[in-house]
Amino acid sequence: MIKHYARLARRMTLVSLVVALLPLNVLGVGTYYYFLRGSQEKLKEEMMVRAVNRAEAIELFLAERTAVLEALAHSGQLALLSDQHELTKVFQILNRRTWSFLDLGVIDTSGNQRSYVGPYPLQHQNYRDAEWFQQVMLRRVHISDVFLGVRKVPHFVIAVKHEDEGEPWILRATIDSEVFNRLVRSAQVGPSGDAYIVNSRGQLQTPSRFAGGILMPAELDIGAVPPGNTVVERVSPGGRTLFTAFTWLSSMPWLLVVDQDPREMPGPLKLARWVDLSIPLAANLLVLASVLLLVRLFIKQLQANDRERAALDAQVAHSARLVSLGRMAAGVAHEINNPLAAIGELTGELQDILQPEVLAQLPEGDICRDNLTKIMGQLERARGVTHRMLKFARSAEPTLEMLDLNQVVRESFSFVEKEARFHNLAVELKLDPGLPLIPADRAQLQQVLLNLLNNALDAAGQNGKLLIATDRDGAFAQVRVTDSGPGVPPEVGERVFDPFFTTKAPGQGTGLGLSISHSIMEKMGGTLTFESPPGQGATFIASLPTAGSETG
Amino acid sequence: MSQCKVLVVDDERDFLESLVRRLQRRGLDARGAGSGMEALKLMAEDPSEVVVLDVKMPDMDGIATLKAIKDRDPKVEVILLTGHASVGSGVEGVELGAFDYLIKPVKLDDLIERIRDARERGQLMRRAFS
Repeated sequence: MIKHYARLARRMTLVSLVVALLPLNVLGVGTYYYFLRGSQEKLKEEMMVRAVNRAEAIELFLAERTAVLEALAHSGQLALLSDQHELTKVFQILNRRTWSFLDLGVIDTSGNQRSYVGPYPLQHQNYRDAEWFQQVMLRRVHISDVFLGVRKVPHFVIAVKHEDEGEPWILRATIDSEVFNRLVRSAQVGPSGDAYIVNSRGQLQTPSRFAGGILMPAELDIGAVPPGNTVVERVSPGGRTLFTAFTWLSSMPWLLVVDQDPREMPGPLKLARWVDLSIPLAANLLVLASVLLLVRLFIKQLQANDRERAALDAQVAHSARLVSLGRMAAGVAHEINNPLAAIGELTGELQDILQPEVLAQLPEGDICRDNLTKIMGQLERARGVTHRMLKFARSAEPTLEMLDLNQVVRESFSFVEKEARFHNLAVELKLDPGLPLIPADRAQLQQVLLNLLNNALDAAGQNGKLLIATDRDGAFAQVRVTDSGPGVPPEVGERVFDPFFTTKAPGQGTGLGLSISHSIMEKMGGTLTFESPPGQGATFIASLPTAGSETG
Repeated sequence: MSQCKVLVVDDERDFLESLVRRLQRRGLDARGAGSGMEALKLMAEDPSEVVVLDVKMPDMDGIATLKAIKDRDPKVEVILLTGHASVGSGVEGVELGAFDYLIKPVKLDDLIERIRDARERGQLMRRAFS
């Protein structure tokens, strides 16, 4: 029984959870997946825009510096700028706005530095063998890669050649690495973001946070980077998964690299992701809790209904048994009554014939007379039996009649009187003679009283006490059956009226007696209650409305 | 006063015969019939003033026999004998014109008293309507 409910509960829980949670979680996982993809696409897009933007700023920076140098070279003259004093003045004008030029030098075609302004002692330096010198001699304008140079400090230079009239000469400026690096670094975002420039040989041109210092080889295959702007997902040599935006500068073979960890998302996206994860989780918990609760409630209700129905079935079966037993009793009584009537008549006739004067003549006439009297006595006894059987049969059919409660109590008690004597019980009947008649079904009332009396007998045990009392309580007449037994434990309480509840040993009681009695009393408009003060035994009280209260 | 003519109808032979003999011994002109049909036959040949009729009989029961008797001669008085469980049919019989009903087992003296009462009423009726 219990197992059956547990299995049902498990099945219901399982099915409900699958039906409720499967679509929810498919939806949750799906949206999360699309959200993640969407947010990564968004991040890539945003990185691309940032990289292109920065690249443009870097190009603008370089173009501006180059243009300034070109303009200077164009307007100045070698003789003038070869003068240290003049060059210093120009240098100060150049750096008035932004301190991006570290030094400035004028070099002739044979590589000799004619004049120099800057923090380093580079006066009269010859640059004939420097790569940038050879490049600028060829191309007129040159922005060098980063190199160590004479001072063995990484830097890069912008050089322009002037050759309009007279001997060509070169104006060369070193770019302040700090200013330039800052410009590049402004493309990096977040605690794990990185931004740096790599030249066509794969050397870092600006320091990187994670990929290495300046002039170190960048850990990427520069040849594999397609021209233009791209964003790729790659695994860094350090094992990190990165989104990387590559942007080639258009004016020179430098590559701007912007790295970012895709797990680092902007605030609103982070919040959205948190919401997207926590709402399905909360929904799952909510569904789980409500399914468990509902299944529990349902099973509880089902159990209660089943119990109620079982009790009802038992009661119906009991009544049906009683009725069929009654019919059988009636049939038997009729069949026996006829021969009894015949015996009665035949014996009566014999008594008529055997008048005292006739008997006196018989040798053992007094024995004949005694025997006839005894036969009549035994006949009366047998008639009493059939009489009771017929009465029982009639009472098995439920009918309301006006009953004397005291009489019903006495009748019911007569059934258990012998057993009470056998148990040596001290029985006291305190019947109120002033009770009015009550409308009730005799057999059912008897059934209730018998049940109460039997229970009381069982509870009282040997040498106990039994009090059966009737009295009137307002519009109710009541029977109180008190035993000297252990009483009803407080923890049992009203459960004594539950179907199948029994304190008797297995096989001794069905647990239905009080339950059926309770419902019989309620059906007749009465009540069945009990009182059990600790240590004083139990009193069961069957209470029925008197006729007067029925009119209401 | 002439002997009271009584017909006792009961399907229980021993009961019937013994009762008839006892009634005769008490000075009544009693006869017995083992079934409703037999009773009607006897009544047709030689009517009795009072019929004592058992309610529970096979084939033709007491109520049917009562109706048949009353149909032929309403002045015949009928006393019904009923079992405990068939008091209802006793009441029904009285409504149909039976003089009275008695519950089995009946003491002989009581039965004879009722028979005499019934006969008296029958005689009164007969005098009133003749």
